[in-house]
Amino acid sequence: MSVYDFTVKTKRGEEKSLSDYRGKVLLIVNTASKCGFTPQFAELQKLYDAYQSRGLEILGFPCNQFAGQEPGTNDEVQQFCKLNYGVTFPIFAKGDVRGESAQPLFKYLTAQKKFAGFDMNHPVAKPLLDALQKNFPEYLEGDGIKWNFTKFLIDRDGNVVARFEPTTTPSSIAKDIEQLL
Amino acid sequence: MKVQVFSFQSCPYCVKTKRYLESRGVEYEVRDIELDEEAAKECLRISGDLTVPVTTIDGKNYVLGFDKRKIDALIEEMAK
Repeated sequence: MSVYDFTVKTKRGEEKSLSDYRGKVLLIVNTASKCGFTPQFAELQKLYDAYQSRGLEILGFPCNQFAGQEPGTNDEVQQFCKLNYGVTFPIFAKGDVRGESAQPLFKYLTAQKKFAGFDMNHPVAKPLLDALQKNFPEYLEGDGIKWNFTKFLIDRDGNVVARFEPTTTPSSIAKDIEQLL
Repeated sequence: MKVQVFSFQSCPYCVKTKRYLESRGVEYEVRDIELDEEAAKECLRISGDLTVPVTTIDGKNYVLGFDKRKIDALIEEMAK
C-alpha cells in the first residue's frame, strides 16, 4: 500500500487519485481553512517555486478542525482573502484530518509516521502546546494531526519518508526535499 | 445597476460582506471567482488581483475587503 492508493476531493468536488502524482516528490500539508496571517503559506510557495521544475508537488488540504485558537497570530486586521491563499500549488476540498472523521489519506499518513513531539525551539511551540493543553488536551494524545501545517514528505515511489510538525518551518525542510529530488 | 460581490465560498469576509448588504436591504449578485472563470477574469480586470471580497456597482470603483464605511459610501453613491 502507498499514497497512490488514495483518492481525494478537489475543490470542485471531483475525485482525484494520488496515483496521478506517481513519480513526483510530494509534500502533503493540512492547511488552515481561514485566510489569516499564515507565513507558512508563503514559505511553502517558495519551496514550490524552487523545486516544482525538479519534480516537487505540494498538495494542500484545508481543515477547520483547528479553527479559532491559532496562537501568535492576529488575523482580524486583514479583512479580505486571497483565492487559494495566494499559492499556485493545488488546494483540495476542505475536510477533516484527525479523529474518526479524518480523510482516509490522513489516517494512513499518521499511521505511517507517528508524532515525535514539537520542536520546542520554534517560537510558536510553547504557546501552541499551552493552547492545546488548555483547549484540546485530547489532540495531544496519539499520533493524530496536532495542528495546521503538519507536513508529510513522500518519495518518488509513494513512500511516506518524513513527518514535520507545525513547529518545523517549510524553509527548513528544503534539504530533505532536495535529497529526494 | 446592481451591486456585484466578487467572492469565493470559504472566504469569511465575503460572507460578512454579503450579510452586511442584506442587513442594509441591498440586493447583490454573487460572482464566485473560484468556480466561475469569467468572474475571476473580471475580478482581475477590476482590481488586478484575486483578493476578495470586491464589491462594485460599475466595475470601475470598488471596495476591497469587508469595510463597512467604504461599502456604505458605495451604496450611497448608487442611491444618487
